[in-house]
Amino acid sequence: MSSETIEKDSKKKLVAAEASSDEADERDERDDEEEDESGSKSPTNSFVDDSTKRKIVINRPSSAKMVWTLTKREVGGYLNSAITYIVIATSMVAIGWYFFFYKGGFWQVDRASMTRMFDALPLALCFLTIPLFTMRSLSDEKRVGTIELLITMPVKDSEVILGKFFGSLAMVSLQILLLAAYPLVMFSRAPFWHLGELDWSPFWVGMLGLFLLSAAGTALGVMWSSFTESQILSYFATMITLVALYAIGFSTVVEFLQGWPGDAIAFVSLHSRFEPFARGLIDSRAVIYFLSLTTLGLVVAFRSLESRKWS
Amino acid sequence: MSTDVMIYASGLTKRYGSFRALDDVSFEVRRGEVVGFLGPNGAGKSTTMRILTCFIAPTSGTAKVQGQDVFDDTLAVRASLGYLPQRAPLYLEMTVYEYLRFAAQVRNIPDSTFKARARNVVEVCGLAQSLSKEIRHLSHGYRQRVGLAQALIHDPPILILDEPTSDLDPNEKSEFLNYLKQIGKDRTVLLSTHNLKEVESACARAIIVSRGRVVADGALDEIRAKSGRVRYIVGVQESASTSPYRGTGAMPRQSEVEAALSGLKGVKKVAELPTDDRAHAYALDGEEGSDLRADIFRMVADKGWVLLELHRDTQTLEDVFRQLTIGDERRNRQVGPVTSESRAADEEEDEEEEEEDDEGEDDEEDKETDAKRGKR
Repeated sequence: MSSETIEKDSKKKLVAAEASSDEADERDERDDEEEDESGSKSPTNSFVDDSTKRKIVINRPSSAKMVWTLTKREVGGYLNSAITYIVIATSMVAIGWYFFFYKGGFWQVDRASMTRMFDALPLALCFLTIPLFTMRSLSDEKRVGTIELLITMPVKDSEVILGKFFGSLAMVSLQILLLAAYPLVMFSRAPFWHLGELDWSPFWVGMLGLFLLSAAGTALGVMWSSFTESQILSYFATMITLVALYAIGFSTVVEFLQGWPGDAIAFVSLHSRFEPFARGLIDSRAVIYFLSLTTLGLVVAFRSLESRKWS
Repeated sequence: MSTDVMIYASGLTKRYGSFRALDDVSFEVRRGEVVGFLGPNGAGKSTTMRILTCFIAPTSGTAKVQGQDVFDDTLAVRASLGYLPQRAPLYLEMTVYEYLRFAAQVRNIPDSTFKARARNVVEVCGLAQSLSKEIRHLSHGYRQRVGLAQALIHDPPILILDEPTSDLDPNEKSEFLNYLKQIGKDRTVLLSTHNLKEVESACARAIIVSRGRVVADGALDEIRAKSGRVRYIVGVQESASTSPYRGTGAMPRQSEVEAALSGLKGVKKVAELPTDDRAHAYALDGEEGSDLRADIFRMVADKGWVLLELHRDTQTLEDVFRQLTIGDERRNRQVGPVTSESRAADEEEDEEEEEEDDEGEDDEEDKETDAKRGKR
């Protein structure tokens, strides 16, 4: 509910808002953007007389609240569309089928382990869920022109991008969370099976890995959708980027390119970065990798949105 | 710059590649003014408004809203504006209420204030029946109302409306214009339109742009007078009518009347108007500031003809508009690419800001050269 005055005050509040938010990448992004803004300000600032400026109070919510408002709107938009439910339902069926039946599936492995699920899931996310939930985020606004109305409200470009990002990420996360229903149904009432108790910790670590991967993927998806007005183009660009980033890490590829090329590829691949999570390890390097990728995607998207001014 | 100036634009130029969408546009709008922003399609109205609302940045020039630079203090500017873009792009999946609420949240209006404002705005925009409808189900006219409601929800001191009435029906239009007059008393409104009637009924001042330049800026009367011409309509009886009065002389032939009228001092141009065979009618162009009516009557009476009609016609806004912006339309109808000599020169002398002006006169030449070039 606070109104910000234009100068440093707002910066302070921003920092406060950042500190309260749990997303480290978001903090990076905001900091970047703050620097950029002040950077671009300085050369032209000299002829604006400061005396009148100080008086003006900008009536806008804090950044965190603004992002929240935009995210809510975004999620509301998704939940309002039938396609969302179709996507979620079909992925649930497809992944469930794969998990239980494909190549004998869960029954042949015959262990109380969910690792199999994490083999297929990242690829499913890359192929379908992430691109589908990011393709319309900025493309559609640009095509319909709603972006004009949105941006001419007192909203920062970075807040628009973050709102879009969190909106899409919320939908992808919803999909991931729904997948947790499989093990919950199967193992929560132990000893329902002959398999015994599931070791839950690796499972949740895997879920964390999926979430981080989704964050990176969603950021790249938002980035692509900021480039084009066409949802289809945005979908395919995102899908190809993510699948390529994932597939180059398959062990066959890495082994084929022995030595440093293989290492380099393993270094940037979503697949090799996700692997430790699938096995139940939290790899700090991978966490940093995913967060940097997220930041990269968001910063590029921010720049791309900003570029409308100059084109 | 006095504090009274709410919108200030100076030397705004916007280029898209070699195309100049705006070329050195400067104007000021003061507190409490309702200003019509006129121009043919593609003249740069929307571009100007987008710059003022911080959606795009000008290539050069400065714009300030309430003393805040649109580039450096963009949030302050946007917070003080209510903006309705062309064709009111809204989120189609939201209901009207949700949309207004969203706009209010973005503008940091607390819930209690929002309720009161929303009631007011809904009443003004006539949205009471459609509050819970999804915007996608609304007609364009209603969408425009929602767009307007959205622009008013935070009670902004400045309104920028891009063709706000284009999709409204005549009743809605007049209602809207009435409302505009009412709110225009303590607000600043910049309103773009091609409908000159609207400007005449709602605005005291107009800015006319054509091909990215301001071609006229001032009170409507001033603009009307700007063309510097006065028109007279003269009708002379040609053959006997039902009236017994036949005048004293012979019935005039057409050439006689035309010659006599052209011979009058101060008449610049005589053009025959279409009439039936009982009368000759002519439109004369006279100089501004003079009144030829007495001379015309004297002349006709001396000849013994019967004067059926004499009428002095100051120019309507529409005439002025057409006259000032006709170059645009002519260019559009030319064969071949728009880039005639002026454009080519434009590209070469880009930095010198040397624009070929007076396209109206140049157009004839342009046409010829274009025709010669044919389809490149």
